[in-house]
Amino acid sequence: MDITPEIETAARRLGQCLRQDDYIRKYLDALEESRTDTEANALETKMYAEYERLIAHEQEGEILTYEDTREFYELRQQVQDNALISRRNRMHRQIRPYVHQIAEEISFVLGVDYTVLAKPH
Amino acid sequence: MISHPGMTPPTIHIDPFQAAQLLGNVLSETPEFKAFLAASNAIHNDVTIQKLSAEMRSHQTALHWGRDPDGQHAVELTRLELEIEDLPAMKEYREREKGVSALFQAVDKIISQEAGLDFAVNAERTGCSCGG
Repeated sequence: MDITPEIETAARRLGQCLRQDDYIRKYLDALEESRTDTEANALETKMYAEYERLIAHEQEGEILTYEDTREFYELRQQVQDNALISRRNRMHRQIRPYVHQIAEEISFVLGVDYTVLAKPH
Repeated sequence: MISHPGMTPPTIHIDPFQAAQLLGNVLSETPEFKAFLAASNAIHNDVTIQKLSAEMRSHQTALHWGRDPDGQHAVELTRLELEIEDLPAMKEYREREKGVSALFQAVDKIISQEAGLDFAVNAERTGCSCGG
């Protein structure tokens, strides 16, 4: 897809504005903290690996018992209790309506929902 | 730049709403978007598509209220969907939609890379008041 320099400049400018925005920066900091924290990172990786394992078993037609899923739920609880992850998730929930409002500015000019056409399919 | 001991340098804040508006203006002038808009107007003014859409809505309403004991509404709805998709104006619309979508996705990739977060994905309406 050919992007004209004018479009590229406008898109980069918006991206930079978002990154510099105080509100979004707080979320990005929280995201970075949870990514670089060894414990938080390992915990989430383990939880997702366990989730994938359970899905694979289910797709093979296996009926999962409480015992099978117990480890996953325990891990999920630990993830939810982790201070850095919980802060990141909270901040993520908070910024989404704000990001939505910004995208609505584009949609308003176009007269169509920008997010529907721009999100990956 | 002259540094002032003990003083925090002023932060230049650029309004993301203005930047979004500017991007919207630039995108609205692209051939891809103009073609998409024309195709969209064409299907809204196409008598056949409007007639078939109205028929589809009546079947959707029946399905919504559970009034489809023999599955005829579901069958008819599928048939109408296929009929609409086969019309030249709708085919043109789908083609133009693909074009503008490819452009917007490429633009969104640039925004997301610069911002450090997936812009369109995070901008989607969440559909609940829980903020999730």
